[in-house]
Amino acid sequence: MAPAMATVVLLFGGAIAGAVRTSLVPLGGGVSLDSWRALFADPAFLDAALFSLRVTVLATVVSAAAAVGVAGLLRSHGTLVRALAALPVPVPHLLVAVLAVLWLAPGGLADRALGALPLSLIRDDAGLGIVLVYAYKEVPFLVLLLLAAMGSGLREREEAAAVLGASARQRLAWVVWPTIRAPLVVGSIVVAAFVLGAFEVPLVVGPNYPPTLAAYAYEATQGDVLAGEGVAAAALLLTALAAIALAAAAVRLARTVEGD
Amino acid sequence: MRLLLLVPLLAAAVAACGGDAARTSAPAESASFEATLREARGQEVRWWLFGGDERVNEYVDERVAPAAQRLGVELRRVPVADTADAVQRVVAQRRAGKESGGAVDLIWINGENFAAGKRAGLWLDEWLAGLPNARYLDMEDPTITHDFQVPIDGQEAPWTRAVFVYAHGSARVPEPPRTFDALLEWARAHPGRFTYPAPPDFTGSAFVRQVVQAKGEDAGFAYLRRLKPLMYREGEVLPKSEAELNELFANGQVDFAMSYDASFVQSAVRRGQFPRSARPFRLERGALTNVSFVTIPADAAHRAGAQVVANLLLDPELQAAKADPQVLGHPTVLDLGRLPAAAQERFAGVASSPYLLEHFGELRPELPADDVPRLERRWEREILR
Amino acid sequence: MIERHAGRAVALLFALPIAALVVRAVADQWRAPALVPQRLGLRGLDAALEAGAAFAGSLAVALVATGAAIAIGWPAARVLGERRLRRPGLVFLLLAMPLLVTPYATGAGLTEWFIRLGLAGTLPGLVLAHLVLVLPYVVVVLLSGFGARVSELEEMARTFGASPLRRLAWVTLPSVRATLAAAALLGFLVSWSQYGSSLAVGAGRPMLPLVLLPFVRTDPQVAAALALLFLAPALVALAVATRASRSPL
Repeated sequence: MAPAMATVVLLFGGAIAGAVRTSLVPLGGGVSLDSWRALFADPAFLDAALFSLRVTVLATVVSAAAAVGVAGLLRSHGTLVRALAALPVPVPHLLVAVLAVLWLAPGGLADRALGALPLSLIRDDAGLGIVLVYAYKEVPFLVLLLLAAMGSGLREREEAAAVLGASARQRLAWVVWPTIRAPLVVGSIVVAAFVLGAFEVPLVVGPNYPPTLAAYAYEATQGDVLAGEGVAAAALLLTALAAIALAAAAVRLARTVEGD
Repeated sequence: MRLLLLVPLLAAAVAACGGDAARTSAPAESASFEATLREARGQEVRWWLFGGDERVNEYVDERVAPAAQRLGVELRRVPVADTADAVQRVVAQRRAGKESGGAVDLIWINGENFAAGKRAGLWLDEWLAGLPNARYLDMEDPTITHDFQVPIDGQEAPWTRAVFVYAHGSARVPEPPRTFDALLEWARAHPGRFTYPAPPDFTGSAFVRQVVQAKGEDAGFAYLRRLKPLMYREGEVLPKSEAELNELFANGQVDFAMSYDASFVQSAVRRGQFPRSARPFRLERGALTNVSFVTIPADAAHRAGAQVVANLLLDPELQAAKADPQVLGHPTVLDLGRLPAAAQERFAGVASSPYLLEHFGELRPELPADDVPRLERRWEREILR
Repeated sequence: MIERHAGRAVALLFALPIAALVVRAVADQWRAPALVPQRLGLRGLDAALEAGAAFAGSLAVALVATGAAIAIGWPAARVLGERRLRRPGLVFLLLAMPLLVTPYATGAGLTEWFIRLGLAGTLPGLVLAHLVLVLPYVVVVLLSGFGARVSELEEMARTFGASPLRRLAWVTLPSVRATLAAAALLGFLVSWSQYGSSLAVGAGRPMLPLVLLPFVRTDPQVAAALALLFLAPALVALAVATRASRSPL
């Protein structure tokens, strides 16, 4: 237990400490709250925060729901089918976003094949493009987690329950769901945190305004290299805090639901 | 008599060996630069520069690096997605209290990035004059001595020139508009067929600056507001980068593209991205220009090697190769009048191409570096939201 | 029957877009409205072949980081998975915190310390920076493989007189093979695709994502070719892990 904890606490703690220091100490030295003041004074920051939250919730819910369905469909299939479905997992998010543009942008492959697309999915105001890209990437990831949990003896236990007279619905609620619940919750939290903090995808398929929080931080450093660093560090720290609080709340909620 | 004859012979001999910087320098400079050359032997120079342009990468890897190797310097290209990444690295090293042995030896830089670093004292001071090839530069030219109107104080060496050009498809738009007002009229007649990248993208920002330069700041922003609803997707969605605009142009979604790279049409056609009917054009009032430089951080581990490379970049042979449309097609920063005759002929022999503009009209220098972020923010406030 | 077809269709839906990447990599010219490239060529592949140093760099870091994460994280995963702690939630949260923060932030935060310690730009430095993210991922995935069932099997083996080493090799490892494979795969992928911390801590050391990103917006063909290079080891790892997860247990 100790080595893992020590590694994480030391490295991660160091990183957070470093970020705090960057946000409070500009290049010349001396503590100053300028970065934090600039951050809160900027209306774009609040817009970015709300937008990030909206996109995160949507992407996580859609991915989790789809993953359960897909895992159920795929668990009776062999290695090849599973491998094909898992193909997006090793593809970095940035590349998936590029693929999305290749396929779904006006003049993209889907447009050329179908004549025209009904929805505007790239750079749309609602951030649907972002949700779609993350769903494409995260559903296979969640499916991987779910299938790993389902693989160890689930079929046998379902059959045992069926023999004991449990209906399909009962089997689902009492055998399948408890097995997949833990990896689903954990995986969903990971997905949510990831979507909240990532910036390559919104940079490619997201709307010009508002940016997501991480994109906001990145753009802050592009504008004014010196002062921007402090603002970016402050923005990233707040995002991190929000993600951690969200996760803690989600874990607490999951525990009360299952009556642990 | 024989001594007099010797001089033109020497000059010819000197002009013939264009690649070796040391021997062609005047005695006084040569002494100190000889010392720099000796120090540079065996050093590995890490040059941080934008990595997304294959032609630049090839130029550096296949022409500059071998020339450096002949002088005993190993040049390693460090690709970055944005120059600001390299500046951030130097800032981080400064924060950590590092005074020497830095990981960044040379940066391809200009504009706000240079100005911000200069303010923070990040760059090595007054080293440009020590380069032998610096005598080919026209020190009266304000675009050479000032970087976005910030005096360079010898802290960076010019490398290449950028000129802002536009592109149109000669099939769809045989006669493109040549003034901003004509562009507005054209957009009224053809709504949804024009757009520009959203600042703070480098290219989009430059476009906004041109409008401001032509009309004054407030009138310029009024113009952009009038233009917005006539643009592609009613101006609500703008491409985030020049590359995106290029894709829109290539796929026939809009009729114009633009770039700070004078040879971008040539390069895009060669890449297969633009159709062969694409042609560059410029506005009547002349083209926006800037020079980009290479700078050496004060804490660089291999500053001697970096200076040798910076000097190599100004070498007439390499600059001529750079101007060749088959290689890069970038205009040179050297003053042709100061070059020896043989070198001048190298430039005259550079082939022309329908994808490169022969003349740029009056070259308009950039606005002051500090204006750039201010205008970008104003654009975000007034046009974006 | 429908289920079988639906499963295959879904799998294809996920795999097909990536096939477009292969085509893009060899397409010298591919403009609308053509569904097929106008001209094929090797320009992209030429550029990809020059990225050898970056490929090796990323591979080395990813392999070491994954191995280290499994070695360090195994005991923690056991303890958490077998629910031996009184306050698992707190420990879990502490361990998983790096997952919740964007890697760009942790990389930037560590940069200054690493420069001071002389770790910037070194292999150990990069491994440590990646480890912050890889270790939690590995532990989170691995812990779902441990539990009462595995402990019971080990207990049974112990009563039959098997030594600890034998128990590990013949009982524990086969039981957790599926989750171990998934954990290793994920750890490798996370390190392999790291951009933010590689940029911050790497100090210019060649890594594949850093070479790839600049091309993504400016040169789709070269980007696609580099992407395929990028995908190759990842796909190999995926194949190995998928095979391992079909364990008979």
